[in-house]
Parts: sequence; structure tokens; C-alpha cells
Amino acid sequence: MADPDSSAAGRPSPFARKPPPPRDAASGGTASPPPLPPLPSSGSYRTDPSIVAPRRESRRLFFHGSGGSLFGIFIVNTLLTLVTLGLYYFWAKVRVRTYVLSQSEIEGDRFAYHGTGRELLLGFLKAIVFFAVPIVVLSFVRDVLDVWVGLKVLAGLLVYLLVVVFIPVATVGARRYRLSRSSWRGIRFSFRGRARDFVRIFVVGSAVSSVTFGLYYPFFDVQRYAFMAGQAWFGTRQFGFTGAGRDLFGPFLLALLLTPFTLGLVWFWYLARRRRYLWDHTTFGAARFRCAVTAAPLFRLLAGNLLLLVLTLGLGWPWAKVRTIRFAFRYLTLEGPLDLTAIQQDARAASATGEGLAGLLDAGGGFDLG
Amino acid sequence: MTSGSVRSDWEGVYLDGRTPARQPAQIRLMRGGLEVTTASGGTFWWPYGEIRQTQGFYEGEQVRLERGRDLTEALLVADPGFLASLHAIAPEPASRFHHPGRRARRVRLTALAAVAVLGIGAALYLWGIPAAARVVAARVPVSWEERLGRSIVEQLVPAGKACAEPARQRVIDDLVRTLTAPLPRLPYTFRVTVVNDATVNALAAPGGFIVLFRGLLERTRTPEELAGVLAHEIEHVLQRHATKALVQHVSTGLLFTAVTGDVSGVMAYGLESARVLGALRYSRAAEEEADAEGLQLLLAARVDPAGMIAFFEGMESQRAAAPAVLKYLSTHPATGDRLARLRQLARGGGQRPPVRLLEGYEWADIRRICG
Repeated sequence: MADPDSSAAGRPSPFARKPPPPRDAASGGTASPPPLPPLPSSGSYRTDPSIVAPRRESRRLFFHGSGGSLFGIFIVNTLLTLVTLGLYYFWAKVRVRTYVLSQSEIEGDRFAYHGTGRELLLGFLKAIVFFAVPIVVLSFVRDVLDVWVGLKVLAGLLVYLLVVVFIPVATVGARRYRLSRSSWRGIRFSFRGRARDFVRIFVVGSAVSSVTFGLYYPFFDVQRYAFMAGQAWFGTRQFGFTGAGRDLFGPFLLALLLTPFTLGLVWFWYLARRRRYLWDHTTFGAARFRCAVTAAPLFRLLAGNLLLLVLTLGLGWPWAKVRTIRFAFRYLTLEGPLDLTAIQQDARAASATGEGLAGLLDAGGGFDLG
Repeated sequence: MTSGSVRSDWEGVYLDGRTPARQPAQIRLMRGGLEVTTASGGTFWWPYGEIRQTQGFYEGEQVRLERGRDLTEALLVADPGFLASLHAIAPEPASRFHHPGRRARRVRLTALAAVAVLGIGAALYLWGIPAAARVVAARVPVSWEERLGRSIVEQLVPAGKACAEPARQRVIDDLVRTLTAPLPRLPYTFRVTVVNDATVNALAAPGGFIVLFRGLLERTRTPEELAGVLAHEIEHVLQRHATKALVQHVSTGLLFTAVTGDVSGVMAYGLESARVLGALRYSRAAEEEADAEGLQLLLAARVDPAGMIAFFEGMESQRAAAPAVLKYLSTHPATGDRLARLRQLARGGGQRPPVRLLEGYEWADIRRICG
């Protein structure tokens, strides 16, 4: 497969290093294509030896995009957003996401993004109606209107409740929306976690964290990640997470204790440790992610990005984004057999139109403010 | 790019949208659509009108064509010459697909967009946002300004640091009343807080809150000098400078979001905004306006403007000797042309003889409100 960007990136494509997997023969056109049945049931694939990879493999993600192209998108987006008084913002988001996913590749195939600006706009309006409007009205009752004190207290409590609920609901909504609009090899991702479960994790976690002066934080952190990763699906196969918060408690405590002696730099070590831990315990079928990131490169990435943004007054944002993606992909591998034969499209996830407002907390399409 | 040779037959990959299996496919470009034959022998007809192109807009990016909404099928063609041939064979229906030959034009248009963004951004920053801030600030209810001002004062003056010796406080409040008496309509209730702090500074928060630092009070030699400082701060409030500055900062932050599409930029800007709110630093134009209007206020109240000018002069002459005054000078630079402007304004309006302020009081005693 031609890989024009690999030389520009100064290193060979990771795909060039490993022997071509059997099912990639089709794209190279050198080997004879494996005999594939017509529109199939999954059962007929399961017996196809060319699809099941027999040996231990290691796969990498690769990013083909460039800061220059992203900058072009960014500048046109900016112009249109300014000219439309901000309305184009939602379409601008779609263009950036489409570019980023289209330039990301694994196993010789790129991802695809299927979201639309219209859906993002509707999601934004949904959030306005269900959260912003009630919060403004209730704040008005609490602070401005001349009503009975009990009503003011009630309004104040409701505002607090809405704000507390909003963060987890918006997080789940965004996750649900983004995954359902992403695909690889024509198969959609999806997220099936229920917002109310995440609200519970969030409320309990925040409360216990504050009661324990933050010591509970790593447990809370891992719970959130476990929910976000473990409820993600690719077609009919679920991602898994096998970690537990107690494994990060030690490093967290150590970082906390060393903070004054390291001027806080120890947190880069913790961030790298955390990222390794979370990825290393994320699974996809029999395959498992591996992350090799360490503190020093992570520090260089973040400090470099900050410098880039400050020196360019924010105009360097596209390059910072590309740096961040390439960095994440460089240290991430997917190891073990990637048996795709049993995977099928999940009809619920594939439908872009059949989603309605399925209850407030689990709004079908989700909404995305990010 | 092999755009020179027009071919009708291409190799690609077909994704059926049900399984992640890549199926090699032969694609034939026809006048009205694509004829797709998969390796397994199935043949599909894709009319151009039903096809969307979702990838293949950049150098090195495969062409991806999609068909169908709920169960999307896709065709991937790695060879970039495919699009050129498509445009050659079916120019009319293919106009909805990307043409690689137009990439150079796209680069030029993008450069043009960059220039336009710079132009629009500069225009908004220099004129659009200040104009909008003026309009918005004029419509902010006084009660909101008061709430905001109170919270700023609470933040600047911690409980226990305010000097509130009642008799002396009443004298200072009387000074404010004298200054604002000639105004026909007063939307604000002015409240002066003296802080027990050696800093030489004075500032105005929205809604009529004026904060005087002990250091400044101790450097006023006459009640007229303090009246000059107060008139200046009262005009900041009346002209709603703080509210305008705040609206301007929020709008600039929004502009920042629109430009960068990124929240981290706004967060950095929000921090900046908080700093500005804390320091209540105004633009030079706002300072000059407060000077000029403050001087008019003095003249209307028949207070000798020489006190105001003398105070600014005194500050400027102490610049080198007393570093403490730098704080005040950083927000109220008493430059030569500023003093000249004040003197000119004072000459223009002095028909009536000034009244003496606080006759019978010992100013050095009033100044000791903090004990």
C-alpha cells in the first residue's frame, strides 16, 4: 500500500515492518484474492482460514494527515464561522473530525466519520432546551424573583442537581454520538452505556473524592474509564476493560507525596503511568492494547504544544493536534489475534435516522458539545 | 498523477456494510453510474446520483464512495487517477465529486480565506467588539452591576481590612455627595471603602463601588486632591467602563473560541479575564474620558480642579523617589500631555469661583480613618 506520508514523518510506516497479514493480500494485488462467498452469513466466514490470523501479531495505528492540510480546513472553517456568526461551528467540527478519522489507518484501512453538522446543531439545541433554559429560569427564580423562600431553596437545589447531572449526561451523550458516527471497514462503532449509570458513578465518585480529600480520585478515574471503554462496541463485538482503581492508587499516592520535591513534574510520570495502565487493560476480543508511553516524551509533547499555541496565538492549533495524534499512535499497539470473522454490523448502531429521543437521560443519538 | 490516460476499469475494494470483510472489486466507469463486480461474482449498479464521496480530497488519500443511508456500502479505490477518469467519462454527473485538478485552486482560495480571517478578526477586535460592548454595557441593569461590583470589592477587600471609623467615613461620603449633587439623575448609590493597605491606589468597581487604599489617602494634601481622585473614579462608574471592559473581554473570548474552535484557548483567556477583573485596568481612552468627565464634575460642583491636577503632578514627581506610587501610576499614568489636557479643560470652565471643601476640618485628621 502506497504510503506517501511516511517519508515526510521521518520514519518508515509501521505497516512496512510487519509481514502483510493474509487478508491484506487483496489490496496489494500480488497474491490471488482469497475466495470469498457472496453476501454471507457470518457462519460461512468463520470457516474461512484466510481471515483468522493464526499467529501473534502486533498492529499499529498510523496517521497520514499533515498540519498544513488541517490548517487549511481550520482557516476556512474560521472564516465561515465568523461570516455566519458562529452557526457554521457545527459543520466546522464535522470537517475536522472527518479529516482526522479519514487520515487514521489500521490494518491498511482508514476510519470514516459519518456525523453531520445538522445533527450536531440539533444536539446543541437539545442541550439548550433540557439544561440551559431550565438552569437560567431556575436561577432567575432563585436570585431575582420575589417569591417565598422555600421556593428559592428548591430552585437552588434544582439548579445544583441539573448542573451535577449535566456533566455526566453530556459526557455519555458525546461518547455515544461520536462512536456511532465512526466506522472502520464499513462497520460502525457504538456506545451502549446508560447515562444514568454514569451519573451514579459520577455523583458517587465526586462525593467520595471530596470527602477523602482527593485520595479516592484514582478509583473514580478508573471507574469512569472502565465505563467509557468497556461499554464501547465495534459492530457486534464489545471492547473490554480489566483494570481496577487500586492498581493506580500506589502511583497516585507516590506522585502526591513527591509533588513538592519535584515542582509537580512527577505528574507527567503519573500521567504516562496512568495512560499505560488504562490502555494495557483495554481489550478487543482476544486482542489487547499495549501502550509504551513514558514521562519524558509526554512532557515534551505537552510542553511543545503549549509553546506552539502561545507563540502562534493559537494559530498553531492544527499542528499541535497532529502532534498529539501522531504521539498517541506512536506508542500504541494492538497485540494478539484480531479475529474479525464473527463481527457484524449492529443494525442499531448503523442507523443514522432511526434514533429518536429515547428518554431524556438516554437520548438515542446522544448529543455532542465537545 | 496518471490523469493523462482515461481508463474505464479500476480495481478497488468493496465493503458491504454488514461485515468487516474487504472484498476485491472491479469497477467500471459508465455514463450513468458505476458497475461494481466483486470477486465473488456479484454485480451491482451504483447510479451516480446515489453516491457520496467521503474520502479522497487530499494527496495520498484513497477515494471512498458510499451508497445507502442505514446500511452504508462503500467502495475504496487507492489509485488517485480514478477521479480524473471519472470526470473525463461522465463530466456532467461527476461534477458532484472532487476533482484532483482543482487542488491548486483550493490552496489559493484557502490563502485568500486566511487573509479574510485576519482582516475580519482585526476589524472585529478593533471596532466590532468595542462597539458591541458599548451597546451591551449600556443595557446591563444597575442591579447586576451592583452584584458584580460587590463581589469584586469583597474579593479585593477581605473582611477586617476595611477602615470604617464612622465620623471620618461620613466626611468622605459627604465629599462624594457634594461631587454628585449637580448631576440631574443618579442611577448609582456610591459606596466608598477605605482599605487598610499601604498601596497607593484607588479603583472603581461596577455599580458605584469605589475602593480607596490607605496609602493613597495619606498622600492627598487637601480635600480637593481627594475630590479629584474621587471624581475620576465616579466617572469610571458612570461611564460603565468596568462593565464595558468585562463585556469586551467575554466577547473577545468568544471570538477566540470561534477562531480556534478549541476550549483550552478560552480557558487561558478566561484566566486573563479574571486578572483584568481583579485589577480593573482600563484602556487609555477610558482613563482620558474619566479625567475629562471627572474634571467637569469638579467644575459643576464648584470644586477647585487645581487639587486634582496637583495630585497627579505630585504622583508623577514621586515616581522615582517613592516606588509605592507606581501601582497608582500604572493605571493612571500622569504623563505630560495628560496634565496639559487637564489644565486646558480647567481653564475653559472656571467662570464661578470655587467653594472651599470641608471648611473647619483638619484634613490631616480626616485622612487617619484607619487609625
